Amino acid sequence: MKFAKLIRRNLFRNKLRAILTMLLLAVIFFFVATLLAILQNFEEFSNAGAGSNRIVVQSAISLATLLPYSHEQKIRQLPGVVETAKLQWIGAYYKEKSNFFANFAIDGEKMPVVWDDYKVDPKQRADFLADRRGALVAEALMKRFGWKIGDRITLKRQIFPFDPELTIRATFVHPVDTGSLFFPMEYFEHANGDRSEVGTIWVKVKDPKQMAALSQQIDAMFKNSDYPTETFTEKEFQQNFMSMMGNVKLLFTAVSSCAVFMVILLAAITMSMSARERVTEIAVLKAIGFEQRLILALMLTEFVLLTVIGGAAGSFGAHYIYLVVDMGKVTMGFLQNFGVHAKTLAICVATSAGVGLLAGGLPALRASNLRVVDGLRRVV
Amino acid sequence: MATLVEIDNVRKVYKRDAFEVPVLNGVTVDVPRGDFLALMGPSGSGKTTLLNLIAGIDRPTAGRISVDGKEISRFSETQLASWRSRHVGFIFQMYNLIPVLNAFENVELPLLLTKLSKKERREHVQAALGIVGLGDRSLHYPRQLSGGQEQRVAIARAIVTDPTLLVADEPTGDLDAKNAEETLDLLQRLNADFQKTIVMVTHDPKAALHAKRTLHLEKGLLVEGAANT
Repeated sequence: MKFAKLIRRNLFRNKLRAILTMLLLAVIFFFVATLLAILQNFEEFSNAGAGSNRIVVQSAISLATLLPYSHEQKIRQLPGVVETAKLQWIGAYYKEKSNFFANFAIDGEKMPVVWDDYKVDPKQRADFLADRRGALVAEALMKRFGWKIGDRITLKRQIFPFDPELTIRATFVHPVDTGSLFFPMEYFEHANGDRSEVGTIWVKVKDPKQMAALSQQIDAMFKNSDYPTETFTEKEFQQNFMSMMGNVKLLFTAVSSCAVFMVILLAAITMSMSARERVTEIAVLKAIGFEQRLILALMLTEFVLLTVIGGAAGSFGAHYIYLVVDMGKVTMGFLQNFGVHAKTLAICVATSAGVGLLAGGLPALRASNLRVVDGLRRVV
Repeated sequence: MATLVEIDNVRKVYKRDAFEVPVLNGVTVDVPRGDFLALMGPSGSGKTTLLNLIAGIDRPTAGRISVDGKEISRFSETQLASWRSRHVGFIFQMYNLIPVLNAFENVELPLLLTKLSKKERREHVQAALGIVGLGDRSLHYPRQLSGGQEQRVAIARAIVTDPTLLVADEPTGDLDAKNAEETLDLLQRLNADFQKTIVMVTHDPKAALHAKRTLHLEKGLLVEGAANT
């Protein structure tokens, strides 16, 4: 493009101002990318079980209220149920509270059917099932603590009255769950006083179309019992879990929007100054034949480039920083498998271009509409 | 000589808030092709306004302006911009070079609006810079040039498209006597050797003497015209 040089030179005509503006945009888009990545992380977490045909049964009172094992046996009898399994949130931590991560007691022998999206080496799975105090650990968690197969670890209690003493027998890989640890339900039962109660019952369903009807059927079945249930699809369950933190999505979206609005105002000030400084030059360009729409296009291109360079620097900076920084560790396991991915990068770069258009639109339009004689008033 | 610019009973009134300020009050004048015309007059006499109208960067309130047979006073803004790029070269008092572009790039600017190839543009720019004697300064930025050199680059920019008409507003107003003389000599040479039609506004009677003839304006009217000897 023959005007590229003119655009580039104008972009950096005041280097300090251009660099400071880009830095400002970079910092803001770093945070916007981070917030959007957290939201995307939540979204992925919520969608973790999508396509797995699982529904989750919990107490209608609260997630902290346990259900009797007999519920599981009754649910298993229902038509359309492939398998059921118990899962109990333990909430223990490793050595220090800052080393918190998700840990559960699980019906290990039923995992291959109910949680078939967890990939485990068959031999390691056999070792895990053979050991009442065996642990099945996410590979990323193994790396986080430097664990290896055969290591003995002790978790510290927070909810239940025992410190799980475990031997790592197997590792797993999962597209979303990169920070959990599982140990056998038998160990939990024994350590918890053989109460035959569990927090959640997970149900593998044959036909996904049946999930809603089956959920209603289960809840109806226990409606008048001492332990009424509330049944969700896995996605709804995860979303409910996330909603316990409040409306994080709304909060993050609001904060991101405020940041973007702020950067539009700041960029608009910079761009207005830049356009005002060039009134005479723009008049000269128009005098020698540059048409109004060409001036508008040149200035908008320059302003959009300014914001896109800043926005891209911030969002790609976030991308690379989170490749290096283990956010799972930083957030004590809250953010698993965290990163600024392609979708977030695309949103940030597109938004930064939008910032350029919005912030630069008016100054560019005013400059392009400038009457030549007004711009040259003191000259021609 | 054939007439290049025809100005027929042109009036120009500026609106300042609720007031109307008449600047030109029915000016009629012809500029023959190949002329070098100086417009003189006191401040506020309307000479710059007349120059702006001839150059197509302002519109008359009434009357008719034709350049090379085309009635530019009826052109749209877009048509005027396109017409200016092909037919008018501007020389300003303060040179008005783009500070972020070097001499070569400044002179090349009007050619970016043409369909010339990069090689052709380079040839045209080098020729224009050669005419004004700055072939060896093509990579210098405006801040690295003297006032006289800046004005010569501006003249090269004005002639690089080989325009029909050159308009100059106080081209020596910001120059010392020596550079002013060189600039006027250059304009004279462009008129004599390259047959460029030039309309120049000046306050300086000595500068006006370089033109072929001088017109005086006062209160928006032509008061006298004379051929310079």
